Amino acid sequence: MSIVPKETIEVIAQSVGIPSLGADASAALAPDVEYRLREIMQEAIKCMRHAKRTVLTVDDVESALTLRNVEPIYGFASGDPLRFKRAVGHKDLFYLDDREVDFKEIIEAPLPKAPLDTAVVAHWLAIEGVQPAIPENPPIDAIVPPTENKRTEHGKDEGPPVDVKLPVKHILSRELQMYFDKIAELTMSRSDTSLFKEALVSLSKDSGLHPLVPYFSYFIADEVTRSLGDLPVLFALMRVVQSLLRNPHIHIEPYLHQLMPSMITCIVAKRLGHRLSDNHWELRDFSANLVASVCRRFGHVYHNLQNRLTKTLVHAFLDPAKSLTQHYGAVQGLSALGPSAIRLLLLPNLVTYMQLLEPELQLEKQKNEMKRKEAWRVYGALLCAAGKCLYDRLKLFPGLLSPSTRPVLRSNKRVATNNPNKRKSSTDLSSQPPLKKMATDASMNSMAGNLQGAMDGFSTQLANPGMTQASSSSGQMVENITSVAIRRDQGSDHMQRVSAVLRQAWKEDQDAGHLLGSLYEVFGEAIFSFVQPPEISFFV
Amino acid sequence: MEDEEMEKKVQQYLQRKGFRLTELALQEERNRLTTSALSEVALARSDNDPTRYSDGYSRLKTWAYSSLDQYKKELLRIIYPVFIHCFMDLVAEGHMQEARSFFHTFREDHEEMHSRDLQKLEGVLSPSHLEEMELARSIRQNKFKIKLCEYSYELLLQYLQKTQALVMLGIINEHVTFEVSPGQPSLIFDDADVVALIGTSKDLAKQINQKEVHWGLLEDSVEERMEKALSESDKIEAESKEADAEDNKKRNSESGKQGGSLKKAKKDKLIGATGKNIRTETSMVSVAPRVKRELTLPVTPVEVEQSILEDLRNRAQLNSLALPSVSFYTFLNTHNGLNCSSILHDGSLVVGGFSDSSVKVWDMSKIGQPAKTSSSQGDNESSQGERISTSDEGKRPYTLFQGHSGPVYSVAFSPFGDFLLSSSSDSTIRLWSTNMNANLVCYKGHNYPVWDVQFSPVGHYFASASHDRTARIWSMDKIQPLRIMAGHLSDVDCVQWHVNCNYIATGSSDKTVRLWDVQTGECIRMFIGHRSMVLSLAMSPDGRYMASGDEDGTIMIWDLSTGRCVSPLLGHSSCVWTLDFSCEGALLASGSADCTVKLWDVSSSAKALKMEDTKGGSTNRPRLLKALPTKSTPVYSLRFSRRNLLFAAGAISLSSS
Repeated sequence: MSIVPKETIEVIAQSVGIPSLGADASAALAPDVEYRLREIMQEAIKCMRHAKRTVLTVDDVESALTLRNVEPIYGFASGDPLRFKRAVGHKDLFYLDDREVDFKEIIEAPLPKAPLDTAVVAHWLAIEGVQPAIPENPPIDAIVPPTENKRTEHGKDEGPPVDVKLPVKHILSRELQMYFDKIAELTMSRSDTSLFKEALVSLSKDSGLHPLVPYFSYFIADEVTRSLGDLPVLFALMRVVQSLLRNPHIHIEPYLHQLMPSMITCIVAKRLGHRLSDNHWELRDFSANLVASVCRRFGHVYHNLQNRLTKTLVHAFLDPAKSLTQHYGAVQGLSALGPSAIRLLLLPNLVTYMQLLEPELQLEKQKNEMKRKEAWRVYGALLCAAGKCLYDRLKLFPGLLSPSTRPVLRSNKRVATNNPNKRKSSTDLSSQPPLKKMATDASMNSMAGNLQGAMDGFSTQLANPGMTQASSSSGQMVENITSVAIRRDQGSDHMQRVSAVLRQAWKEDQDAGHLLGSLYEVFGEAIFSFVQPPEISFFV
Repeated sequence: MEDEEMEKKVQQYLQRKGFRLTELALQEERNRLTTSALSEVALARSDNDPTRYSDGYSRLKTWAYSSLDQYKKELLRIIYPVFIHCFMDLVAEGHMQEARSFFHTFREDHEEMHSRDLQKLEGVLSPSHLEEMELARSIRQNKFKIKLCEYSYELLLQYLQKTQALVMLGIINEHVTFEVSPGQPSLIFDDADVVALIGTSKDLAKQINQKEVHWGLLEDSVEERMEKALSESDKIEAESKEADAEDNKKRNSESGKQGGSLKKAKKDKLIGATGKNIRTETSMVSVAPRVKRELTLPVTPVEVEQSILEDLRNRAQLNSLALPSVSFYTFLNTHNGLNCSSILHDGSLVVGGFSDSSVKVWDMSKIGQPAKTSSSQGDNESSQGERISTSDEGKRPYTLFQGHSGPVYSVAFSPFGDFLLSSSSDSTIRLWSTNMNANLVCYKGHNYPVWDVQFSPVGHYFASASHDRTARIWSMDKIQPLRIMAGHLSDVDCVQWHVNCNYIATGSSDKTVRLWDVQTGECIRMFIGHRSMVLSLAMSPDGRYMASGDEDGTIMIWDLSTGRCVSPLLGHSSCVWTLDFSCEGALLASGSADCTVKLWDVSSSAKALKMEDTKGGSTNRPRLLKALPTKSTPVYSLRFSRRNLLFAAGAISLSSS
């Protein structure tokens, strides 16, 4: 009934020497004890208020007890706020950790330093209503400008505009400075500790960090250029960038221009890390994803953001003079931007690039093991990217490649597939400017054509036993598809209502087919891992 | 007894026969007849089943919540008194368990409006507690008054009759009086009545508030003389400067509008730039009517008067566009021991009262100097002071006053800084001389800790507020109080003199502010509206308005003549420790535990009130002009100097250490 249980009363009774307290007595006492407790708390809160505090202390309770003519409880006075500990297993039970102190220890300990005496210092909190930016005042950033007030003032008064004297200097509070220094130190020297992880979490969550963003972006830009040879540092810096990007309280847009070059450097730099064994691939992947996320988030605000990025990357990719590591980074960067970027920028150049890459891949042609490894890396990255693109395509047009649906398609294609296709194509169109799409298609087609020509050379070069067989089947497949497409076209021709859009859709289908075919030409069977099982079954 | 028996039988008969309406009518009538409705209530609850309360209450609540939107607000007001009395009835009947569960089930309905009362009532656990606790007693003894419109009242009656909610009917009859007004449901503005239900009945408060208050300024004050002198000089100037004279005329014609319109303020600013700003504000103050002095007042020495005149001449004009400069005194290393502080009008002396019973005075003019170079304040002091504290003169930058035997809760300088008062939890008030650095008098009269002490604006007299629920008026030369103001239902937490020295205002833990006549010792105003303990008070320099700040951070501005709240100022998130008006009353500064100094434009509110005849109000609410955050330093005291420089003081509190 009362928050003081009867048992407590009994325990207290026993502790003061009443071994057996009647049940009635304790039941009657319990509510009264609660009432008295509340009464004392009420008085203690009054004392607290008059001492102009908002935290209750032992002194307040003592004064309250004195007010009620009760002897205070001795031994709890303390100048410091008490540190309560939660009792294990109880939600709302706390206790003071009162550790036992050796008497001798206290006696022998040197006298503690005398506490500093009270003093008064004066400063200007405001001069004519404006807070000067001095260390005694809180940092300016913490002050929310009373915009609303000002507006109403202008609207109503039409008086002379309130001139707000903005501080000329940007003052960073001591706390923030320390925070920054600490983070910088962790990033530079101890990025493998768990503390750094904590710091990253703090960077991605804390709300008061905005004043530090310019410092961080400068720091990152600076350090990336300086420590290109130090992989752990670079990685740590990129992690910091990631955390900053994640922080919902930070308005990072204005600093992107400073951060982007560093990030791109971490993707396509010629050398990252001074040792050969350094796993810079991982850093490249990480940064690529980071950049891609930036593009996704801010791409709509800065139209040329992605343009510039892709330009840089494509340049890196297409320049044969650049090293393979750079190529790798470019491929990863492009592929992180999504399937359409791959399709538009990577695939058209795939064949020519493969010609370049081919010699590097082979044991007999490239004797340098390191170089060969790098080449295989690039190959892998390209494969991945192409696969991603293919997978995406296939997902868009599932009906095309699955053999089971084919009969249905043929028999009543108008009902079953035309409509969905139409819808799909229209959505597809709306998402991409049609012109561009046309261009893509054209390039795709041309590429497919090129491939046809280049195929022989390739397939023989790749010493893959299963290859020839597969290639023939793939050729078949392409044929098959085209024939299907033609047939469909004819069918739809018969139906008068064939629209351009629909045609486009067929074309897309075709392209996907071509795409797979061509990719197969380039990568062999490896590409099949990106195709869903039913389709595979169809091909193999 | 027989009567009751008879009635019971009649009722049983009626019940048996199913004459429900008759029965209810009988009940109603009896309720109206019996003054002490107790017997009836007992009858209405003839079956002593505790669950009937919670059933009845929850049904009433559901009904009120599902009632028409337009009347819901009003009807919902009823459920709080019903809730409280249901609970208390349960306690009184000894159903502790049920009372508890009832309380906990429904408390959240009222948490928002009445959380503090609920916290107190939660502790009521036995019938004897009901007797003991002031809040419970006053709730029991007084009736809630609820304003309803006619239709809401009808709805309620219909409901009670139709559902035969006799328990509820009983409670409502017993503890609630309705003030039925014709027409539409009243606005929520009147919620104040519902909030501060404690205390004497509303009628009494109303009656009290009808007494007359002469809120005007004193005749023949320094300011007045100053103004006269100035107007004369103005005339001379006017001849030389025609443009200025025109301004002046306008100003004089406008002077009816207190606070000045904004155009005028603009002009004032322009004029202020040329350094002749004082005239407007003095003319503004002069608008206030003059009243006779009722106390014999001390004579101000000539040199002090001179300095006042000097200050008035150099006063900076403040308004919503010209904000004051704020000088902040930060107490360091207080170890959570600073309880209160006060600043002399010119900021030269700062005093702190500490929980270790000490009072320390800092001479700010000497800080940073190697001492000895005595400035304006006192040649006197250094010669006397040296004798006392030569040994630690170099070490200690302050003067230490020791004498109290308990935490010091309030300190106050006399208007000219010669004397210092301190009040302590040892229930005494001590008078110290800042010139001699010595304790002069110890005033014993209160029986409990003295929370606050304030000098009158002219000195000599002072008022104190105490935990013993009284405020007292003293004069420096007598060790017995001159007047004892009794009437508050809980601690008197703060006290403030009216500008004309004829009244004092007190703020209390009973959530009311009262105004007392110093001469008669009578309460002449009750200001009801705060939702928690009142911590600070300030009087406007024209004597017409009063500001009060409470524990929740709400500041209210009151019109002394009507006793009504002009408007609440919301903005602080924690206790408002201190308030002060600027010298011409255009700005109000507030200092709070949320570590900010806030400046409010109150001149517009005064205007709004003047125009309130036409039911204006909401557009011209006083507004927050500026919030000045400190670096984790709660603001303990604020003081506008006579030249309108704002001084603030507080102890830095580092939560980490």
